[in-house]
Amino acid sequence: MAAAPSSRPFEYLESLPGTVFFKLYQQPSTALAIFRRMLPDLAKCFVMALLYLKQPLPAADLEVWVQSESLKERDNALSILGRLHILSNTVTADNVRAYMVTDPFATSLRNALTGADQTQSFGVLSHVPSGSEVSIAGLDEYARRQWEGVLGYMVGTGGLGTQREVTLSKGVKELLQAGHLVEIRDRRVEITQDGFAFVLQDVSTQVWHILILYVESATAIGMDSVEVLSFVFLLSSLELGKSYEKNHLTSKQLRMLTDLADFGIVYQESPDAPRFYPTRLATTLTSDSSALSNPILGALSGPTGDPSSKAGTGFIIIETNYRVYAYTSSPLQISLIALFTTLKYRFPNLITGKITRQSVRRAVEMGITADQIISYLSTHAHPQMRKHNVSRSTSNQAGIPPSVLPPTVVDQIRLWQLERDRLKATSGFLFKDFVSLAEYEAPCRYAEEIGVLAWKSDQKRMFFVTRHEQVAAFLRSRK
Amino acid sequence: MPRAVRGVLIECDPSVKAIILKYDQERHDYIVEDLDDDRHLVIKESQLANLKARLTKELDDKVMQPDESESE
Repeated sequence: MAAAPSSRPFEYLESLPGTVFFKLYQQPSTALAIFRRMLPDLAKCFVMALLYLKQPLPAADLEVWVQSESLKERDNALSILGRLHILSNTVTADNVRAYMVTDPFATSLRNALTGADQTQSFGVLSHVPSGSEVSIAGLDEYARRQWEGVLGYMVGTGGLGTQREVTLSKGVKELLQAGHLVEIRDRRVEITQDGFAFVLQDVSTQVWHILILYVESATAIGMDSVEVLSFVFLLSSLELGKSYEKNHLTSKQLRMLTDLADFGIVYQESPDAPRFYPTRLATTLTSDSSALSNPILGALSGPTGDPSSKAGTGFIIIETNYRVYAYTSSPLQISLIALFTTLKYRFPNLITGKITRQSVRRAVEMGITADQIISYLSTHAHPQMRKHNVSRSTSNQAGIPPSVLPPTVVDQIRLWQLERDRLKATSGFLFKDFVSLAEYEAPCRYAEEIGVLAWKSDQKRMFFVTRHEQVAAFLRSRK
Repeated sequence: MPRAVRGVLIECDPSVKAIILKYDQERHDYIVEDLDDDRHLVIKESQLANLKARLTKELDDKVMQPDESESE
């Protein structure tokens, strides 16, 4: 299953009440975006199969489609569809349990697929006089500069060297503060723990994080969260390199455009220009999660000043003796690396340092996890490290998945974190006091299948789940 | 009749679990359910931050640290 639902936007959506979904799904662009991005493949199959059915499909018939060894995937898909209010449980005329795709999701998705949409839900193309179009490269450059400016503001690259200063609006700074990503102390910007975790994530996760903060703060100042969210989904369905008319938009949407332009999510020549362009940050929001290979990230991670650098151009070399060499002159990258390494020398295009116990502990104390460090390092590993690894892994037939980083370094970073973090906490619910083993086993297996089981003990007839609603419903249904 | 209890599942090594059990003996205000193996227990959600802080401090005080130098 390739497209796992990306967790952050999914979790946020899930927390919304059903009425919000009802309003959201009025827009074909939203229905399509949710369908494209949030659903695992099997869930897509279910939706497509049920989409044009007029009558609910008996649950037993639907369940027959799935092979018995994939029950876990099936329950997971059904659970996601239920939580997003796409599939509803009903009964057929002769009282058999059945599923059907809810309205208005079904109507909207049908409209989106057949193009029968009259509501301008996918934006209106603008005709630009030839010669004045903005090129895709120009949009990428703009998005990269703005986004790096935001990240740079957060980690405080000011003291590290000369960077073309990106002027951030007051709104952007307030949003970062409201989201507790930065704090202002003595008129200096200081990054918080959440902020550290944020800057190490990949770009599409970051953009979603910011957008969700934006939606939340918009509600606080009286904008309707449904309107803001639908506009985000609309932006995500636009085409890169095309410009769109602004005169169909409401005043609130225009205001959003100005705010989002500061982040580089959309581009407009001036706030009064009659048209706007979505950048790659917007158009990859709900495309399949391959945002990793997009040129923005490549440019963001690569040395700055070289926007033509293609995807996958890593620049970090790590040796088995924990030394780090990073070919970069970007102040942003240098301050990121400095979060968890002890830097030693800096040359015009290279910095060197060492990952030490102390530097990792420092990072962990700031709230960065070992996994974040490792994923950052492996995302940005130098092509030489990948090449070296391929040659090594072909000689190694044991079937151990090849890692780009030296395994000893990866293990050691994890061990250093464990020293600090001696316990792993998962909040949720403990189910106990089952009378018989049979009574215990069924819900326990169900919890495992829908992926919420965290711990179980057959002996004590207890199990621990991260979410209890569905398990409780399951227990009730068996009474 | 099965019941569901809200809490935080803690997964840790036996030594840390022993420390948590010791804390709980003072006022019985941490543990919801001791899961009777070496590594798991369920504690009250409200006490998690407090427990973490207390544990970090205690471990920092008691565990011997090898000599730390950042030189090559």
